[in-house]
Amino acid sequence: MFDRILEQLDRISPAPEAQAHCDGPCGVYDPASARIAAEAVLSMTKKILALTPPAPGDQAAGIAFLNTLARYIAIKEEQAELAKHDLLVLWTDYFKPDHLKDAPNLHEMFWKAAKLCSECKQSVNEQKASDLLKAIQEIHGMFWKSKKREVPWYTAA
Amino acid sequence: MVHRSLIRGFPHLVLWALGRRARLRVRGTSMEPWLSDGSFVLVDPRAYRRRAPRAGDVVLARHPYERDLRLVKRVASEPKDSRVALVGDRAEASHDSRDFGTVPLADVMGQVVLKLSS
Repeated sequence: MFDRILEQLDRISPAPEAQAHCDGPCGVYDPASARIAAEAVLSMTKKILALTPPAPGDQAAGIAFLNTLARYIAIKEEQAELAKHDLLVLWTDYFKPDHLKDAPNLHEMFWKAAKLCSECKQSVNEQKASDLLKAIQEIHGMFWKSKKREVPWYTAA
Repeated sequence: MVHRSLIRGFPHLVLWALGRRARLRVRGTSMEPWLSDGSFVLVDPRAYRRRAPRAGDVVLARHPYERDLRLVKRVASEPKDSRVALVGDRAEASHDSRDFGTVPLADVMGQVVLKLSS
């Protein structure tokens, strides 16, 4: 009955609100940004591996080849760094010590994924790029589980 | 059903009638299970005029960066150097001192002294 009186009172004179929230100030987190960057790394890796160097002596073709190769490498480098950054934001800003209860391997997963970002920069390795995407898929699962939401994994490519 | 704490809280109800306690509505789930989304509470704005908040107190405090935002959180430990750490009871659903650091005591606006409804 008292609860009903309070509700009535609130209708007449609404109480000011106080936040016991996390949504307002927390910002928006989603592993999708890391996934898109990792997909770009995989795509660039495949493109670099598929390049055929021109015949020696053809200067114009040689320059065009180098230009294309340099661009692919630059994009791979940049996107791998972006993926690492997005992962670190999730790791250090979104996840809290309490999440370790449900995801005890959380640190291992992020460490592994961040290292794969570096390895994708250091080499042209399709396996590593695929592993990075798989690691982000695992993080995607852990992330949405922590939010008690079912969000299917998909890729743009 | 009148909550049992209302009997203990009767003096606060009298003080509320006298305008010495403020009624507030809680939004969010970070103080569960004690306070749920929509709970009404009474706040004593004068609670910390003579003493500092103690560990375990539930307080109303201004958000350090979003000044219009008022937070309901629990004092995590004894204040130190005029600053205090605030943490939500349901840690995984809370944005608190673990994110934004300790809060100046001057931003603590009062103590939640009574829960009026669940």
